[in-house]
Amino acid sequence: MKTRIVLYIIFLLLAFSKSSFSNDQELENKINKNLRCLICQGQSIYDSQSDFAESMKLVVKQKIESGMSEEEIYSFFKIQYGEWILYDPQFNTKNFALWLLPILVFLVGGIIILTKFGVLKKRL
Amino acid sequence: MLFFKFFFAVLSFSSLIILFIISEFSNETVLNNSHISKPLFYKISGTWGNHEGSLLLWLLVLTFFAFFYFLNSKNRPTDERLLTIMFQEVIILGFLFFLLKASNPFNIIFPVPKEGLGLNPILQDPLLAIHPPVLYLGYVTTSIVFSSSLAGLIKGNINNLWAKDIKKWVFISWTFLTLGILLGSIWAYYELGWGGFWFWDPVENISLMPWLSLTALVHCVLALEKRSILHSWTVILSIITFTLGICGTFLVRSGILNSVHTFANDPERGLYILFFLFFLIFLSVFIYFIYEDRFELNNKNLNLYTKETSIILNNWFVMYFLSVILIGTVYPIFLEVLSNEKISVGPPFFNKLIIPFLIPFLIFMSIGPNLKWIKNNYFSKKLKLIIIFILSIILSTIVSKFFGNTALNITILLAASFYLFIITIKDLIKKGFKNYSQTISHFGFSLLVLSILLNSIFSNEITSNMRVGDEIKFSDKIIKLQKLENTTEANFLKLIAYFKIEEKNKTELFLEPEIRIYDKPETITSEAAIKTDIFKDRFLVINLVKENEYLNVRYQEKPFMLWIWISAITISLGGIINIFKKNEKQIL
Repeated sequence: MKTRIVLYIIFLLLAFSKSSFSNDQELENKINKNLRCLICQGQSIYDSQSDFAESMKLVVKQKIESGMSEEEIYSFFKIQYGEWILYDPQFNTKNFALWLLPILVFLVGGIIILTKFGVLKKRL
Repeated sequence: MLFFKFFFAVLSFSSLIILFIISEFSNETVLNNSHISKPLFYKISGTWGNHEGSLLLWLLVLTFFAFFYFLNSKNRPTDERLLTIMFQEVIILGFLFFLLKASNPFNIIFPVPKEGLGLNPILQDPLLAIHPPVLYLGYVTTSIVFSSSLAGLIKGNINNLWAKDIKKWVFISWTFLTLGILLGSIWAYYELGWGGFWFWDPVENISLMPWLSLTALVHCVLALEKRSILHSWTVILSIITFTLGICGTFLVRSGILNSVHTFANDPERGLYILFFLFFLIFLSVFIYFIYEDRFELNNKNLNLYTKETSIILNNWFVMYFLSVILIGTVYPIFLEVLSNEKISVGPPFFNKLIIPFLIPFLIFMSIGPNLKWIKNNYFSKKLKLIIIFILSIILSTIVSKFFGNTALNITILLAASFYLFIITIKDLIKKGFKNYSQTISHFGFSLLVLSILLNSIFSNEITSNMRVGDEIKFSDKIIKLQKLENTTEANFLKLIAYFKIEEKNKTELFLEPEIRIYDKPETITSEAAIKTDIFKDRFLVINLVKENEYLNVRYQEKPFMLWIWISAITISLGGIINIFKKNEKQIL
């Protein structure tokens, strides 16, 4: 048991120590993948080859070069084009149900299982 | 009766194929989706590459399976069989009416046009020619499970014997759906995207949802067969699976969704399917509540460390994954209707909500199959399991340490999938031929998770603009654009770019991506050049840059791509084995 805990801690530390992006290209790709190409049918600007996507990619590149952070770039595009452009929906008043409903389903499912099959409750 | 229906469906479908082959443009469907210069193969596959034809195919498969069920269910009580067929008839009638009313494939056009409008070029692909039929086989067999569970419910026949008989259908359907989704994503990999194979696109999600509920059903029908538990849940899952299939058809056909896969839509059709969907849901809920008391009561006590508990856990998690996908797909639609605000729900959402839950899921999946029904002395095996667990943590730490920059949750997920991977290998060796269909499928699943993870961690790419003669450096390789060539094919113009990739150890690799310019309908597509090796794919795609002699080039190295496909095939192989294993036993 002890060894397992120690191993866990070691491995948590190892995992935390590295998490930044190694270069701009990777960051750029990540941002491109999270922005919707507004004139396409459900593609990110990363996946699209349309003129719109190409010019957006250039804008992203410039913003990174000018030193803007990932979050700043997203909010820049959000102000320009609305939330529709962001593939990662934000957690705010109108989206909270989107994020919380699945968790709610999970919890309700758990409660149903516990009440239906009392054994689990008895044992735990 | 059933035979005649099937016969006429075959007749009308084959006549539509013939119309496509002889390019009879007085037929509206042929006109809109075919073209004289199209190769014969795509003339035939064009038959179901459009809304009307695919619906006719759907009907054909539906009537075939109704007939097939009739022939293969002689050991069921007669009244249950008749009821099943009756529900099946209701479904067939619904689709038949839809076909005739809103999407008749045999509309006549006068005067007869000389030339057709052609099939969307990205659909002109051998994989996509077989993708819809395979997927349809999967969807349609869920209708048999649906009808049979309603019939069984009414007759009070939902018990372990029913489970034993319906299991075969569940597995057939699950196997076809798995293969269908696989084909679709292979196609997306080399045709649609820039190296992606799963986009969390609404249409993909829609095909995944019935698959997930079928996966839950596959497990829960086993619990019903072996232990006579979860009667009502099995019926509910059957209903959910089928309605999700119809719901998917509605969402795809109505054009509500914004998707890469939306090729044909029409609001009127959507309305009809919506109506039909509500009718079916209402019907099944109504039947469920009327006959609910006919379920055998099950107040069996369950022990914690048993197979049935782990099956319940499986269903719990799978239903959660299903709800994430369902809510992520339909929430934006509701939000837009209610508040007129448009939001996008993309890959980050699904990753954030699914990955943390996948970790315990994988661990349960490693332990569950090793437990026994009813009672189990789990603790005797504990030591070995923990050793494997530690081993997998070490392995994943090495992997993530070696290549750096991986997030914490990915590392833990990696550990969990290594765990499952090692345990399933152990099971595969130890158990041998006992229950091997399950072990193979589970092994395939662990391989799938592992390959997808390693693929997403180690993928590497470079994007650049190049002219003929240019070279770019990518880690220890040199990529050179040697020459361009124009050729004319039957129904498109082709621009081939010849690339040479030189590795450090002087091995050379030649890749020839293409740009195709189709004339009917006028479309430009990029054909990626892919070199598949055992451990990695090299993926090169080009793209025209406007008013410029440069080409936009993207080169990617994607490890373990092949293993993603292999693992998905392994998963369905388990299903196939199960279907045939069942048959053997019945013969004996």
